[in-house]
Amino acid sequence: MIDAIPDKISRKFKEKDQFDLNRNSQYYLLPFRFHRLTDEKEIIVNEVGDYLILSNGTFESIVKRKLDKEKDKDLYGDLIANFFISEELIPPLIDVLATRYRTKKLFLNYFTGLHIFVISLRCEHTCHYCQVSRVTQNRDLYDMSLSNIDKGIDIMFKSPNPHVTMEFQGGEALLAFDHIKYAVEKAEQIAIEIGKGLTKVICTNLALINEEILEYCKEHDILISTSLDGPKYVHDKNRNKPNASSYELAIKGIELSRKLLGHDRVSALMTTTKLSLDYPTEIVEEYFNLGFQGIFLRNISPYGFALRTDTSKYETEKFLAFYKKALDRILEYNFSGYHFTEDLAKIFLTKILTPFNVGFVDLQSPAGLINGVIVFNYDGGVYATDESRMLAEQKDYTFKLGTLNDDYNDLFFGRKAQEIAQLWANEALTGCSECAFQQYCGADPVHNHATQGDMYGYRPNSDFCQKNMEIIRYLIELMESDSRIKRIFESWAKTATH
Amino acid sequence: MLLRTKGKPINIEGHLVGKVTRNPDLLDENSFLLIDSFVSELPSKNFMGVLSRQDEYEVKNGENVVFKIPTLDHLTDGDIVSVGNDGNINTLYRVNSFHNTLLATERCNSNCLMCSQPPRDKNDIPIHYQIHKKLIPLIPKDCFELGISGGEPTLMGNLFFDLLSQIKAELPETEIHVLTNGRTFAWNHMAERLGELDYRRLMLGIPVYADYYQVHDYIVQAENAFYQTILGLHNLARYNQRLEVRVVLHKQSIPRLTRLAKYIYKNLPFVEHVTFMGLEFVGYAPHNIDKLWIDPFDYQNELGEAVEFLAGQGMHVSIYNTPLCILPENLWKYARKSISDWKNDYLPECATCTKLGECGGLFTWNLKKHSKHIHPFTS
Amino acid sequence: MQFQNEIKSNEVIVFADASLYSKDSIFKCLYWYGDKFHTNVSFADSGTYRVSLKPISTNQLSNLELELLLQKLERDLIDFNLRDIVTKETQNVRDLLIAKAFSNGEFDEMPPGNVSDPVGFNVNKVAND
Repeated sequence: MIDAIPDKISRKFKEKDQFDLNRNSQYYLLPFRFHRLTDEKEIIVNEVGDYLILSNGTFESIVKRKLDKEKDKDLYGDLIANFFISEELIPPLIDVLATRYRTKKLFLNYFTGLHIFVISLRCEHTCHYCQVSRVTQNRDLYDMSLSNIDKGIDIMFKSPNPHVTMEFQGGEALLAFDHIKYAVEKAEQIAIEIGKGLTKVICTNLALINEEILEYCKEHDILISTSLDGPKYVHDKNRNKPNASSYELAIKGIELSRKLLGHDRVSALMTTTKLSLDYPTEIVEEYFNLGFQGIFLRNISPYGFALRTDTSKYETEKFLAFYKKALDRILEYNFSGYHFTEDLAKIFLTKILTPFNVGFVDLQSPAGLINGVIVFNYDGGVYATDESRMLAEQKDYTFKLGTLNDDYNDLFFGRKAQEIAQLWANEALTGCSECAFQQYCGADPVHNHATQGDMYGYRPNSDFCQKNMEIIRYLIELMESDSRIKRIFESWAKTATH
Repeated sequence: MLLRTKGKPINIEGHLVGKVTRNPDLLDENSFLLIDSFVSELPSKNFMGVLSRQDEYEVKNGENVVFKIPTLDHLTDGDIVSVGNDGNINTLYRVNSFHNTLLATERCNSNCLMCSQPPRDKNDIPIHYQIHKKLIPLIPKDCFELGISGGEPTLMGNLFFDLLSQIKAELPETEIHVLTNGRTFAWNHMAERLGELDYRRLMLGIPVYADYYQVHDYIVQAENAFYQTILGLHNLARYNQRLEVRVVLHKQSIPRLTRLAKYIYKNLPFVEHVTFMGLEFVGYAPHNIDKLWIDPFDYQNELGEAVEFLAGQGMHVSIYNTPLCILPENLWKYARKSISDWKNDYLPECATCTKLGECGGLFTWNLKKHSKHIHPFTS
Repeated sequence: MQFQNEIKSNEVIVFADASLYSKDSIFKCLYWYGDKFHTNVSFADSGTYRVSLKPISTNQLSNLELELLLQKLERDLIDFNLRDIVTKETQNVRDLLIAKAFSNGEFDEMPPGNVSDPVGFNVNKVAND
């Protein structure tokens, strides 16, 4: 078509400087954050998690407009291309940046996915770190009633999320297997009727698993999630089962479950205890030798412990040493050609290296409590997270949102939810708001409350902050010092997003 | 490969578009009879006309004729040609080729330093459109892939969408690959309009030459082109269009190539394919060769890093226009035999190469300017 | 008048020119010292902040540690002041960015520049139906 606006420019080739849109060299800052890594290196991270490593003093040059567009040509290009500075007040690609920001917060799009049903508080284990479960035959008092299951399912399907997950926890969930069957069959029917996706998971120590249960799981496409703390001498000390080896039952259960359900239908989670801290490589090797694709090195849970300030700091340092040793062993496997991941690192690396994100309850902002997960307790109480109901067992009902008799809106958008929502975004927390790793981290009001006595938390002596800052810093240090590790980390991040 | 020829026209009005055949039995109202030597009698049915090598031609029934054509050897039964009233015979579609392309226009809003087909500032859009409108119904329905290039096809404006609608209706099984600089799609209504076609066999190949605007704008010789192209890609992604990012490798694009790979992954993760292409020594490239030339052998580190990074992130990556002997072996799996048959060639020393069958070779015009490191594999 | 940063009887004292350092940046900086130190901010004169740290009783520091503490505080004040500049200068564009992120493209900017060729092309005249 021919129309007005003919471009009068000729076809004569022009020099590069004629394509400089900003010849006076003035530039605007875009939102980004800064952190010192070492005496030589500093890092800046933009609003969507892209980072640049710079030599010491560069941040100051950028902010104070000491950058020379010609002399620092490459850096200047990097800063423009990566959304750290702009030659216009409103950057020409602000809509692209906004799309990327939205992608990073996509987990908010779906609202609550994970619905935990504490199907029974009863357990046949007496683990020393567990302050929740009960050894009892009293089903009336400690199993979730059928009417509460009905109400829980009803609330679960009110979630706007097109795909919900129903996870059965305990106690030992299999002690109430008949109730699980009732819940599964009821939920399956509704899911089909209203056209929602439904994933079912049973969390179990596998002591009670048998072929009959597994046949049922196979028929109903139920995933198994179990606990494995490491080699026998760690696992059995952590998890006491009167007159039996919890470890041997778990291993037998894993084998049987894999045989009947398929290898990838069974996952395992570890709890780090004070005892575990002495066995980082052994724990990793246990998971590797059992044929798992990775391990999630989880922090010591503060629930049931009095982990506060100085003790907490000390414990966190020990955990970090444990974590680094374990990660070394995991990297060795990768150097030898195995794909074996550390899942906490995988969460961070997805945020650091990819344009995507993964929702994980305390490593996202806004936090995943209520937004991503909700807990229906055996007694009909509704809690913001799994940890919240554990606090409740110690008579702390701070994160009790209500009961299964309450209205959906009152539970999810009620006074308590609003109170928590005031401080579940790290963008708006003191200490976090200008932190370079803000985009990689999250907020955890429950943890803050449990360890520091208030939901807002106090970063200077927060073990949450100390742990995440150091792990993120360490991951970046590893990647920047060894290109092999960078390749490995990139491949981990990729598996999290595919 | 000869794609155009010329003879003396008789009775031709405007542009005729038809298939060619040497077999009188196959003639119909949409085809030309090719006459290589003397024929005494024309078939007595309705057909489009005669294309003849004869030096003399006597019109019998007022038929359309071009005669005294130097050669018809390049035409195969089923090929489609346009025949102008000036006697020009252009091959529009070759039935035995996988590389058929419609030239949408020679107009362009960019002016790339290495453009292989330099633009012309003349409004050729209506004439090309009229020819393509006649051509498309004649293309065999089993045509596997059809390219649309320019110039910049989107300068057709409304006709661009009309052309695509027609192709979609006439050739529903054909993959369509449009080469565009994507700049006009920065205006959302352009992308939205394309989205409304709901054309799943359509793929847009869009060049991005750097992560930093000034380098890209200099290469394409157009102010704001980088920002427009990136916005265009985002708008197209918004309407779920299938996208390929194309990167030409030369002295201006190599220095920021690995950064560009990261930029693509971070900012354009929705693209389906990323292609890295060797420089063609044709069009503007010889004129600007001092600004462009870097021996492909000398950029293999940068190329390898970019390719392996993107592939490692799960993106589909290809290397075009680069002989295997230049590439390190770990990159061979990304190399494609990308050069259209009619412009593909090899050096004399390639004759003895044992990898010749797997190698994409060179553009014919790159025989004059190629890497110093090309050598035959001997085992 | 000229103030000198100093260590005086177990207390680290730093002076900050109020025309160079924002009040916000000083408090954001001191926040991170609050678990181990008594922190204090006051005016040395109308144009100068006096910032001081005093270890809490359980936190006894040697002279060398105090020396390093002084240096760390000086550097942190600079860093937090720079961070504060970025925060304040980018507040509006950040608000705009987030508003856009949670919209559906309805607030998109007009693309920059022109897309015509020398013959003449008006992208806005292409019909959108």
